[in-house]
Amino acid sequence: MERGVSVLLLVYTTLVVLSVIGLYALGEKRVDVYISLNILAYYVSYAVTGPAYTSRHVKILNIVLFAVFTVIVAFRVYEVLVS
Amino acid sequence: MNRLLVLGVNVVVVSVLLVVYGILLGDSGLVGIGFSASLLGGVLVAYSTTPRDPSVVALLNYSNILVDAVTSTLEDLDLLESQVCSIKRGGVTLLVYSRTPCPLEVDPGVGFAGGSPYLAIPTTRLSTLVESASSSESTSSLLERSLAAVLVDELSACRSIRVEEEADQYRVYITGLADVFKQYLERPLDPYTLLVLAVSSEALPATYIRLVERKIARDSILLVLRAEKSGAGS
Repeated sequence: MERGVSVLLLVYTTLVVLSVIGLYALGEKRVDVYISLNILAYYVSYAVTGPAYTSRHVKILNIVLFAVFTVIVAFRVYEVLVS
Repeated sequence: MNRLLVLGVNVVVVSVLLVVYGILLGDSGLVGIGFSASLLGGVLVAYSTTPRDPSVVALLNYSNILVDAVTSTLEDLDLLESQVCSIKRGGVTLLVYSRTPCPLEVDPGVGFAGGSPYLAIPTTRLSTLVESASSSESTSSLLERSLAAVLVDELSACRSIRVEEEADQYRVYITGLADVFKQYLERPLDPYTLLVLAVSSEALPATYIRLVERKIARDSILLVLRAEKSGAGS
């Protein structure tokens, strides 16, 4: 495996573990918050490490995660506007 | 199946169990952790498809041996400062190193043409080539899509490719070069030049394609190609 990918997975896993522990300790019950923070952690790791080359599956994953994140944010904005 | 894939699948399975357990307990925080872990597993599975260390290292060693052999041959033929072009002949594309600009009467291997020695490397047809989307599609657009299909999607040799057409010249901008290929940029057998010439030969309706200019930056490379339909290049 390329070194950049190893660093990305290490940074990403660390961020996910920290965010999940933090959220659970704070008593967070909303599932979408866990998912959106996870996706955010992934993109932060990707931007910081920036692997030189990836596969087609990773590109599809990037698009899917971005779509999921967009839906979650859009739903939250919609909730605020309605209330 | 590599270890990262096994790890990813395991994480996904455990996270699904965690989600089910969280639902049974009515603890939505636990369900959130389960979903978060399943995303992590999904990411691991996706990244398990990137090239693995052993094969890359073995291929690098093998490539170094071959590049050294060809470089020695080019040195013996006094072709280290030569020009390179690709010639389409039947189903084979020849990548020709010569001091004269693109001699057409060449055979695969080493020989003499136009009073100068040459080295012609035959390449087989590349597997991933795109077809013209419509009759109105420009040749630069077709070339760009073909190069992206091979270099970006299939080989992951770079992040992006852009092609600009000027008269009968094509300016190919390649950015985000793969680390494994960077070491060959200063060698006569530069993989980007050879792959771009080979793909261009397949994609463009030209008899031969000559490399006119080559500029290397830290993380990018610019190749200027000239496509010509017939006649020896002087």
